[in-house]
Formats: sequence, structure tokens, C-alpha cells
Amino acid sequence: MPEAGNETVTVGVIANPASGRDIRRLISGASVFDNGEKGNMIYRFMVGLGAVGVGRVLMMPAASGLYDSLERTLRAAHRSSVEEERPMPELELVEMTVRHTVRDTIDALAEMGRRGVAAVVVLGGDGTSRVVARHCSAETPLCTLSTGTNNAFPEMREATVAGIATGLVATGRIGEEALRREKILRVDVNGEENKDCALVDVAVNSERFVGARALWRPRNISEIVVSSALPDAVGLSSIAGLLEPTGRDAPHGLHVRLVPPERAPTVLTVPLAPGLVVPVGVEEVSRVEPEETVALAPGVGSVALDGEREIEVGPSDRVEVRLDPAGPLTIDVGEAMRQAARHGLLNGALA
Amino acid sequence: MTESEVAGARERHEELDKGALLDAYRTMRTIRDFEERLHTEFATGEIPGFVHLYAGEEAIAAGFMAHLDGDDYVASTHRGHGHSIAKGCDVKGMMFEIYGKDAGICRGKGGSMHIADLDKGMLGANGIVGGGPPLVCGVGLSAKVRGTDQVAVSFTGDGGANQGTVFESMNLASAWDLPVIFVIENNGYAEATAQAFSSKGIDIAKRADGFSMPGVVVDGHDFFAVHEAAGEAIRRARQGGGPSLIECKVNRYYGHFEGDAQTYRGENEVENVRKEKDCLMLFRQRVTSAGLLDEAELDKIDEEVKNLIDEAVREAKEAPEPSPENLTTDVYVSY
Repeated sequence: MPEAGNETVTVGVIANPASGRDIRRLISGASVFDNGEKGNMIYRFMVGLGAVGVGRVLMMPAASGLYDSLERTLRAAHRSSVEEERPMPELELVEMTVRHTVRDTIDALAEMGRRGVAAVVVLGGDGTSRVVARHCSAETPLCTLSTGTNNAFPEMREATVAGIATGLVATGRIGEEALRREKILRVDVNGEENKDCALVDVAVNSERFVGARALWRPRNISEIVVSSALPDAVGLSSIAGLLEPTGRDAPHGLHVRLVPPERAPTVLTVPLAPGLVVPVGVEEVSRVEPEETVALAPGVGSVALDGEREIEVGPSDRVEVRLDPAGPLTIDVGEAMRQAARHGLLNGALA
Repeated sequence: MTESEVAGARERHEELDKGALLDAYRTMRTIRDFEERLHTEFATGEIPGFVHLYAGEEAIAAGFMAHLDGDDYVASTHRGHGHSIAKGCDVKGMMFEIYGKDAGICRGKGGSMHIADLDKGMLGANGIVGGGPPLVCGVGLSAKVRGTDQVAVSFTGDGGANQGTVFESMNLASAWDLPVIFVIENNGYAEATAQAFSSKGIDIAKRADGFSMPGVVVDGHDFFAVHEAAGEAIRRARQGGGPSLIECKVNRYYGHFEGDAQTYRGENEVENVRKEKDCLMLFRQRVTSAGLLDEAELDKIDEEVKNLIDEAVREAKEAPEPSPENLTTDVYVSY
């Protein structure tokens, strides 16, 4: 990990400009930040990074309102006399061809890896976090910030504080005590290992087509595997969370089999999505130990990863889910700030 | 229904059973063949006027119209053949119209850009960019006042999305809770202007926030994605939930108009989309691998559609033109 000193510390920024316009806008009251707000979040994140000595931000280009909003705020900030006192990291865009597809994130991460960024901040939903988790070096600390109300993995956090916490980690003033090794669910299809992954939940459902992606009809879900499950979460993992709360720091995960409520030994009332509370019938729940593989019951339908249908399966397809304890390394913003308080890392005026 | 109206185009298919899948495929295949054939025929100089082809965007028309009844309304664009076919307009009548023949569905006086059939709820293709949304507010208000569960769907491009008419219509539809769906077919170019040159931000759907209506983005190459989102928006509108905006990201296979040299497009841009995202190819792969339809059933539709389009073109070429005496008929509507 680079030390704060003469060497410029660089932090990567991946912000998905396309996140958050799925069908949940129609079926529930879920809300998301627009690209203007995402640009503002990056600005606020940069303010936090700059305050603790990060000199450079390397950002995935986003030819959209997101970058425009960031650039306008940066320009306006430079003109203000108050802002001139404030140390801001240099903003550099990754030189790459922008395709407006998931490839952009993968290409940007590769370049950030080559440039040796000390941390990567991810703005987006579960889908974006998942792509970053698959393609980012396992030793690069991630700060995943949610840009909408219906995410299981990235946290809702004020970006300024997240920027300070990330900056303290990136400059080496806070170490392992504020980092968390996440679990990840590796998905194998027909023997092809690690075909895809999920950070929080894998759900088998009878929707035959990936279609509009979001999984929002609870009656169609037959089975879920979760890496963690909180009773106060919203989404599929909350089903497991209401049965057996399982933190991100617990070694195990859970496997839950569902049946229609009228046939179920246990019926739960579950906040399945923002604006959607439904009865869910539970047949069985069991623990999944680290490295254990769960074979999903075969059938026709699709497999949803972190709430989005991703893989269409037929009766002969074999899908297996393995709980891998060696997932991405994330920054625990709350713990980082507690460390900062304990050790007086923010005592004194800005450098 | 005549034999050249696309079977199923006027039937509502909320669930994708076998019949619905076959109808969806037939609709998309008919549009594709109709457009591919016009591309060839237009080059011969035999077709009067301008032609704007919908090839590549078929999944959008098929996905939306599957949820509409015959008395629901559609307002189209200058690129209107696909919407018209999917809404149930007579395919031969459309071909006659494009050739400017008396047997055309507008008696040969409208041509490609003015194909309309009010009996089918098709309010018309429209030469005015951004012209559809105000029309669906009108019929939407009518349906609301009459207390029916009809809905109205307007189609607009990414260029049209920047027109004042579209914003005014979204505002009105939202203020009055009209049963209207605004569909933006974002094919990336307003004529020859790439979207990034004419607006900030890539998701037009986000503009819905400013009018307090849901805005959703779907992949316009994916019939299933369009069908699902369209179904929810239309159900919402029928139940009094007001308007929605759905942006379909898509590519058009041909130029803005026939004859467009397309110097503004990337090398192999269209070829790559055809190879990777073609709506008919993806549909066929997915329904056959899911075991819902077999290849032979789809091949049969291909054959039937090919024959229909062959016949339509042959008959259109031979059909008589409108007589000079009809020049002043159908000019004004009498109520």
C-alpha cells in the first residue's frame, strides 16, 4: 500500500452512467439518482480525498451528463476564492474507447490496475459492483456507493465522508482494521467454473427470459442462495435475513427453498423491493459453509444475480453456486472513521 | 381480417404463450422483410417520395403492440412502417400506398410517411418530428373522458425527443393523468447527428423525472425486455396510473432515409449489431433453446412472409394509379 509522502496517490473512480433505469421504476416507487447527482457525488468524493492528501483521481470516462455535471462543478469551484484554499485531486480520465457497455468498466479497471491505483470507488448498483468484483484485483480496496434505493451490496453513504475514509486507506494511514474481505457467490454453469458471480444473492426463478432483468414477481422464485442476509435489508436477501440474520462478517451463507405461501410451512412478510411488501412461502433454510457448493434444482427459467435475471436456463442446464470467502476487499467507511477519531487522524487544519 | 393483415397483430398478448410467441415472430419477420424489400426496390427508382426504414427496430413495435387491442391508439413517426404492420394495418394496402397506387390504404395519396388507418387505431405515420406525442394526448384525453380503458402509445426518435412538442405533451399527460405511453426509439442518430452532439446525458428516460412519471430504459433489440416493460406501462395506464416514458436503445440498419450515404456512422457499426444483437436472431435462439418453439415452425413463418411480401410488391407494381378525378377527394374530413 502506498505511503502518504512525495509520491502522488491515485484513486480510481468507476461510475456507471446507465445504472438505475430498470423496470422497478414502473412497478414500485424505487428511486435513483440521476447522472447530474452522480457527477456531484464524485465531486464530493474528490473533496474528501483531497482533504486527506490524495493527489489524483483516475476516472472511467462517461460521455454523458455525469461528466458534464462534475466538470461544471469543478470549474465553478476553482473560481470561488473559498474553494481555492481547498486541496483537490487532479482529475484524469482513462484514455479508452467508450462503448457504453459493460466493457467500459472492464477496460477502465484494467488501466487502473496498470496504473497502480491505491483504491477504487464504485458508483452504481449491485450490477456495477458485481462487474468490478469480478474484474478488479482482489487486493485493491473498493468503496462501493449506492446510486439508488434498491441495492443489496453498495452502501448509501455521503460521498464526502466516503472520500475521506477512502483517502485515509489509500494514503496508508488506515490499514486492515478498516478493510473487510467480502464473501462472493461464484456461479458455475454446466461445469464452466466462475461463469458469473453474485455478491449478495443468487435466485432461481421461473421467468423464462432475462427480459427486463429485474426480478420482481415473488411467486416465481423457487430458491435463493445468499452470502449475507440482514433482516433490515430490502430485496431477496431479506427473506433469508428474516429467517437467520447473517452478517457480512459471518463465515457462512444461507440456502432457502421457497414454495407458494398456500403450501408453505412458514410464511414471511417480506420487503422484496422498495415499495413492495409481499408474503413469501418458505419450505426450508440451511447454512452454506465456506467453499461449499450448492447445486440448484434443475428446471426451466432463469437465474438472477443480486436481483437481476442474468442467465436463462433449460431443464438440462446444471447451475452450481459456491460460497467463496475470498471475495473483493472493501472499505468499511464507518470503521475507517472510527479509527480516524481514535487516532486523531483528522485533528488539525487541512494541509 | 384480410390475409395480408398480420395474424395476431390485433390480439392482445399479455402472457407469452406459444401463440403469442409465434405472432410476435411473424410480426417482426413481416416488418423485416417488408423493409429489406423496400430497400432493394427503392433503389430502382420506381417508388415515389421518401422512405425511412425501420429494419433493426422490429422488437419495439412487436413488443408494444402485443399488449394493445384494436381500439387502442398508436401515433407513429416518419419511420412508421413497423408500427403500422404491428398495429394490424393491411400489409398489401401499405405496399400499394408506398407505390402511390389507388388501392393503397390512403388511396395512394399519402405514401410512406402518411400511412394511417383509423379503423386499426393507427393515427398515422407523421412527417413532423415530435408530432406523435400531442396526438396521443388528444386520444388519451378522449379515452379518459369517455371512461374506457383504451390507451395511446406514441413513438418518437432521439431527435424528436428534443422537440418542444414532446415536453409539452409529457407535461400535459402527467398533469391530467392521461393513459398514454411515450416511447422513445433511441437509435443514436437524429438524421445524421449523433445523440451526444445534441444533448447532455445518454438516458432520455431520465427526463421523465421532471414530469413526475416513471422512466425506464430497455434494450430495444430484445423483444422480451420490451414486451415486459411495455406490459407494465400499459397496464399502469389502463388502471388509471397515468403516463410513462420508455426509452428503447436500438440501432437502425439503414440510413436515415433511403439514399443516405451514412458517412457519419462507424465502420462495421451495423454489421456488428446484425451479428450480435439482431432481434430476430436473438428471438429465434432463445425460444428454440428454451424449447418453446421449434425451428420448423419459425421457418414456415419465414416462408409465408416471404410469399406475402413478394405478392404485395408484384401486385403493387401492377396496380392502377389514382385517377385525376380523385385528386380533391379525402382532402377534408367530414364529421
